[in-house]
Amino acid sequence: MKHVNLLYAAIGNVTRHKLRSVVVILCLVAILFPFISAIAILEGVKAQSSISAGEGADIYVTMDMYGRNGVIPVNMAEEIKKIEGVTRSVPRVISRIYIGGKLAVLFGLPVEEIKQMSFLKGSLPEEGGIVIGKGMADALNLDIGKNLEIGVRIISIVNRIPLVLRKEYRVSGIFTPESGIWASDLVLMNITDANSVFEMEGFATDIAVYTKPGYEAAVSEGLQRISKFFRIQTKGLVRSYIESGFNMKGGVFVALYTVAFAIAIPALLVTSGFGLSERRKEIGILKATGWQTTEVLEMVFFEGIILALTGAPLSFMVSYIWIKFFNGFFIAQLFIAGIGNIPSFTVPARFLPLPFILSIFLSLVLTMAGSIYSAWRAATVPPAEALR
Amino acid sequence: MNNSASSQQKAGSSQFSTSNFELRTSNSELIICEGVWKVYNEAKPYEVRALEDLSLSIKKGSFTALKGPSGSGKTTLISIIGCIDRQTRGRVVLDNKDTTGLSDIALSRLRRQWIGFVFQNFNLISGLSAWENVSAPLIPMGFSIDDRRRKATSLLERLGLSGRANHMSEELSGGEQQRVAIARALINEPDIVILDEPTSNIDVESIAVLMGIISDLKKNGKTILMSSHDELALRDADIVHELKRGRLSDN
Ligand SMILES: Nc1ncnc2c1ncn2[C@@H]1O[C@H](COP(=O)(O)OP(=O)(O)OP(=O)(O)O)[C@@H](O)[C@H]1O
Ligand SMILES: [Mg+2]
Repeated sequence: MKHVNLLYAAIGNVTRHKLRSVVVILCLVAILFPFISAIAILEGVKAQSSISAGEGADIYVTMDMYGRNGVIPVNMAEEIKKIEGVTRSVPRVISRIYIGGKLAVLFGLPVEEIKQMSFLKGSLPEEGGIVIGKGMADALNLDIGKNLEIGVRIISIVNRIPLVLRKEYRVSGIFTPESGIWASDLVLMNITDANSVFEMEGFATDIAVYTKPGYEAAVSEGLQRISKFFRIQTKGLVRSYIESGFNMKGGVFVALYTVAFAIAIPALLVTSGFGLSERRKEIGILKATGWQTTEVLEMVFFEGIILALTGAPLSFMVSYIWIKFFNGFFIAQLFIAGIGNIPSFTVPARFLPLPFILSIFLSLVLTMAGSIYSAWRAATVPPAEALR
Repeated sequence: MNNSASSQQKAGSSQFSTSNFELRTSNSELIICEGVWKVYNEAKPYEVRALEDLSLSIKKGSFTALKGPSGSGKTTLISIIGCIDRQTRGRVVLDNKDTTGLSDIALSRLRRQWIGFVFQNFNLISGLSAWENVSAPLIPMGFSIDDRRRKATSLLERLGLSGRANHMSEELSGGEQQRVAIARALINEPDIVILDEPTSNIDVESIAVLMGIISDLKKNGKTILMSSHDELALRDADIVHELKRGRLSDN
């Protein structure tokens, strides 16, 4: 009963000192909102990059070249398909290219694979046609029917002179924002066109291999039997590109977050000191009327819990609304590389339980940090002194 | 929390006798101050000797008054006796128990079980109603909210504040606030009731009401210690001590 009473007293205090409670909760939101948003977006990016366009394959096969991933003949896809347990094998051309000074991902797939793609405005790329991401269309002011020149620097195999290849492609479709982050800066074309961009007819950058469940090890062995120069990986190139894009922003995020913390923590300390003289007096009164120090501290502790349990879910809600309904306006660019104020795609986000628990824990630490110590100070001096 | 324990302690007061303190007094003396000093900012240029080597004893069930000019040390002495402040030197014995070296926990327990303190400026908690203020000391003692409300309301009724239990403390007049403060001091049924200048912030009629309350308390066997300037209030006291610059002038 005693503890229940103290809990109710704490609830009473939180509602009685409204201004103080509101300021503390706002401080918590200011600290937790970027934290929760960043983690949600990070998780969203991770999840999305693994579900898009062949990125959910079980194995990616390249050929060894100077100890790195080198191109692999497209016709190997047919060989690989014959391995026991393989359901699908898709040769792909994936490359980073600069278009209009902007880093983009060039993606070439066999025509029959492209047919499965959705979230498209316009039509799928025919011979000489491309589908581009919304981000790129906006940046280069492109629309369906216009032409885009793609230039790449290659080294001629014949005389080893570097040269720039330029070719024009017709925009036949544009990915809609719902197609997600991975499509935003994408140039999709059929694989033979992609080969022609680089003058690498007959070669893919990798082959995405899908296996029956449980066959991964067996298929890997089968692949090694075909050629010991095969490099076998489990993470797709697009995925690693997107994640490295995020990591580029990681540093920015850390810096920003440090600033947020540097501002918010003193603010929180100030607010917990906010109304401290009144607090001190009240504690003096309670002590003078027979309260024990531990009882005062227990009540203050409950107050901290109440504030934290209000602040953390509220931050979560604000973050959720901001990302889901305002598509991460302004904040998404802090966490995802190369997008502006208004993201050209639906910002991917996943709100998981662990960050939620973490943010509650963090709010508890923050609300306790200021209040318990100052309450303890006020409670351990003689009441007459606290009342002065 | 431990009501039964407290009544036991109060009944068998002899078990509190301190080993190294020789009692010169009979059991009828509830409060004894011996050579009490209170020095603020000791050894600093702005040192203040609020109490100087003060000795005083107060009989159980008596009504003792303290008078003296402003700054003579009344509040200081009363606070030390009420265990809400600590003396710099000297000894204070409550019911044969030396309070001098007591821990924070033991002092809180003493305040809860023995002492009701009415502050000069009342010190009510703003934003709480009259009954909530009165029952605040009961919160950590495990009384349910209904019990607390009932106890507080009946006490307020006894003090003539029947219709005021749900009023916010800041909505009450000075005299009413004082009676709320008195009710809070009485809620734990203390043996000692200490009032610091209860007559200074209220009008003549309220003083009359107050003196009625005090005489009731005395009838109920409470030991009362009050500081006051008011001659009318001092008239009812069994004994009046005068403080002058931290010393009792009648000693
Ligand atoms: N915290 C303090 N620090 C320094 N000096 C103090 C402090 N509290 C009280 N004093 C001084 O101690 C002396 C006694 O103060 P006290 O409040 O006990 O007087 P009082 O008799 O109650 O006066 P009043 O009638 O005005 O209430 C005064 O000179 C006062 O200035
Ligand atoms: Mg005074």
